[in-house]
Amino acid sequence: MSARWSRLSLIVAFAALLGTTSASAASLSLSSQALTPYRTCTITATPATTTALFDTTVRQGSAASNFGTLTSTNVSSGSAINQRAYLRFDLTTCSPAIPTTAVVRLATLRIYLTAVPAACRTIDVFAATASWTETGITWNNQPFGTAINNPPTASRSGSFTVGTPAGCQNQATGVYLVGGTVTSDVAAFVAGSATNFGWMLRDDTEGSATTRTVTFSSKELATVGQAPQLVVTYVAVP
Amino acid sequence: MWRRTVGLGFLTAACAVVGLAASAAVSSESLGASTISVPRCTAAGLSVLQNLAAGNVISVTVSGLPAACGGATLQVTVNNGLTNSGGSAAIAAGGGATTVTLALPVAVTASEQTDLVVVGP
Repeated sequence: MSARWSRLSLIVAFAALLGTTSASAASLSLSSQALTPYRTCTITATPATTTALFDTTVRQGSAASNFGTLTSTNVSSGSAINQRAYLRFDLTTCSPAIPTTAVVRLATLRIYLTAVPAACRTIDVFAATASWTETGITWNNQPFGTAINNPPTASRSGSFTVGTPAGCQNQATGVYLVGGTVTSDVAAFVAGSATNFGWMLRDDTEGSATTRTVTFSSKELATVGQAPQLVVTYVAVP
Repeated sequence: MWRRTVGLGFLTAACAVVGLAASAAVSSESLGASTISVPRCTAAGLSVLQNLAAGNVISVTVSGLPAACGGATLQVTVNNGLTNSGGSAAIAAGGGATTVTLALPVAVTASEQTDLVVVGP
């Protein structure tokens, strides 16, 4: 008799415990509605958006000249006529400001293609290492120096391919390019571990015997639908 | 012996109830301190693209949504500092890309803030 009551009391106790556990789980599930928040800052470079947004080309063939006011930018590989594009977006234009503690999930350079080469070319993206200005930069005074194929490919932040052949990432004109990912750079800019001097885009193999050129719309074109953009998606509270 | 056993049973049940109260109090405290961990369907980098018409953002396409977010509701708000507009759309079962049309067009300025919230699934 006592043994049976003993077992019964233990069952009652476990039942009570199980009951409380299931009630707790039920209330948890009610309060645990899945919410996935993201915030995005889209910076658009148009002539009306201050001089803090830069885009320009430096040309080896006109090494002392500045091309900051042109309506297009180029990246080109050729014999002594290489061209590089420089872009900079001021992250402080984001409102509200991106917190220094934010986790940057994705940052993408968006530039509008107006001409692509007949061969598929790899375009490298490098974080610029020194300041420059849109109306002052030239091939001769650019942050990375005048040596071609420098900096080395291994130090690039990212890359994408452009050209009409099948299999190339960006084959068409009249669209924004895909693949301009600069997430790690922007994360470093936001966190303060690197200074935002923008980016330089160059052909992965400068000095091509046959000239290969990619052309983008610049902010001076004053067409919002083709303006260079930087899109930063982040989570403020991870 | 019989009384002792029954007493032990009630004591165990009482402990369980006390245990529940304690855990409820802790849970409540966590909520108040905003430290509760909210489940999310993704931590991936979502691509957020503005779709324009005449210099205005009229819709937003969010891509890179995983299947785990399928069936959820995507809420989008775009703010350029002057105009605030939003909308929502269901995410397809397999995830992928979802386009949300804004209630009002928002002019493109130096920068726009876009807030996304995936509610559910």
